[in-house]
Amino acid sequence: MTKPPSELIPASRCTRCGRVVAPPTSYCPDHPVAMEPLSIEGYGEVVSFTTLHSPPEGFSSPLHLALVGLDGGARLFCHGAETKGLRVGSRVAVEEVDQVYYFSHLGVMDRARLFWRRAGDLEETVTAIVKSAVKRVWRRGGGEKV
Amino acid sequence: MPGVWIAGAGMTRFGKRQESLPDLVAEAARSALSAARLEAPDAIVVAAMNPEEFIGEGNFASQIATHLGFAHVPALRVETATSSGAAAVYTGFAAVAAGLSRSVLVVGGEKMTHLPTPRVSELIGRSIDPHERSYGATMPALAGLITRALMAKTGVTLKEISQVAVKNHANGARNPDAHFQEPVSLDAVLESRIVADPLRLYHCCPISDGAAALVLTAEPAPVRIAGIGQGADTLAVRYRESLVSFRATQAAAKAAYRMAGFGPERVEVAEVHDAFAPFELIALEDLGLVPSGKAGRATLAGETAIDGRLPINPSGGLKARGHPLAGTGIAQIAEVFWQLLGEAHGHQVAARVGLAHSIGGLATNNWVTVLERTR
Repeated sequence: MTKPPSELIPASRCTRCGRVVAPPTSYCPDHPVAMEPLSIEGYGEVVSFTTLHSPPEGFSSPLHLALVGLDGGARLFCHGAETKGLRVGSRVAVEEVDQVYYFSHLGVMDRARLFWRRAGDLEETVTAIVKSAVKRVWRRGGGEKV
Repeated sequence: MPGVWIAGAGMTRFGKRQESLPDLVAEAARSALSAARLEAPDAIVVAAMNPEEFIGEGNFASQIATHLGFAHVPALRVETATSSGAAAVYTGFAAVAAGLSRSVLVVGGEKMTHLPTPRVSELIGRSIDPHERSYGATMPALAGLITRALMAKTGVTLKEISQVAVKNHANGARNPDAHFQEPVSLDAVLESRIVADPLRLYHCCPISDGAAALVLTAEPAPVRIAGIGQGADTLAVRYRESLVSFRATQAAAKAAYRMAGFGPERVEVAEVHDAFAPFELIALEDLGLVPSGKAGRATLAGETAIDGRLPINPSGGLKARGHPLAGTGIAQIAEVFWQLLGEAHGHQVAARVGLAHSIGGLATNNWVTVLERTR
């Protein structure tokens, strides 16, 4: 089965214990050891998720949050368009737009909807959709990892 | 190591209070000193999580010492987020155990109800990892993630989680110092509004004002601190291997039991940090009080009720007694102290050994204290 296009997530790995964290950080949380940078694929499983109906200032309601355990080892906080049908253990793709990670196991239309729902003005929203579409086209055009 | 004893305890009623924080702290401190029959302590340890922003006050240890008429007594302030009270008890314990002081007044509290709820949530939420906070993670959000993971991984049900709130409200109804003194039904908990799916409003502790105090002494008294331990974990929840148990609690319990020379088998009553109802179930297992995977069923079966095999949070816990942040860790130990002395009027249980468990932040800095009545 062909995988959908994948995002590469910047991460870092502890040279002593092998722990991988994302976003990358200078030191391992449990060892005073400099971490080495690496990239991991944006695929993983939902560790847990929740929906906030009164999110903090600056976030639109409802706010869907998931903690995703990436196949490459790190766990990542992500926003999402919805949690309908989502379960602990669901497979998801993670994509970064404007330095925010989004989870989805949804189709193109749903992805577009996801970005429309984001907080921010219309121009930002359109830019986000274009960016996402360009990435997908680029990946299909040979950017896909073997 | 020389013994450390509790000579007296005091607390204000928790809830929405009109008095200033220094006045609340003074009320608790005077009550503890009076119970200990001590005019002035050798040293003072003050706990307050964030007086700078909650009430706009700084240099808080000196302010409290002066306010109490103890400007000449050395005072310092201790902070480990929501477990600051327990950290202050540890600091006082260490001073007495090391022979640096013969008597230490440990007092802590918080004043928050005068601020709008979103502002209070924001200030408490600053104890969360900055990256996670940038995604909108709040304390209830992280607790919601933990609750869903707990239900998926262990099979704990929403009914079992909700029973924690029902039980603790029933206990609070018997405690004249509690924030909430009304029982709630299981249906009311299950039907309360969703805060962070699947967590509902009645699964969450309230925002409270209040203060609590202890006098620790090198003079033998009926109740001693048998063991006290701290445990730590990553600030970032995403760095943790497990969401369904807290390494910081397990490490704190191990240290406290080692110091006490006995384990959870002797514990007959406990005050645990139920800031969110599922945290009580996690604590019971992390502390070794209930076998792994059994906390939900034990709660539903009434084993942890005030008349059960192992009463948990007879005071009402954070859920019903209330949670004035830095006041909580001290109030929990005061409650266990009164239980062991037979002075927990209206909500007394039979016990000679008790335990208090406090969570700092999202379980980054936790404490376990074991008390024993020796005569």
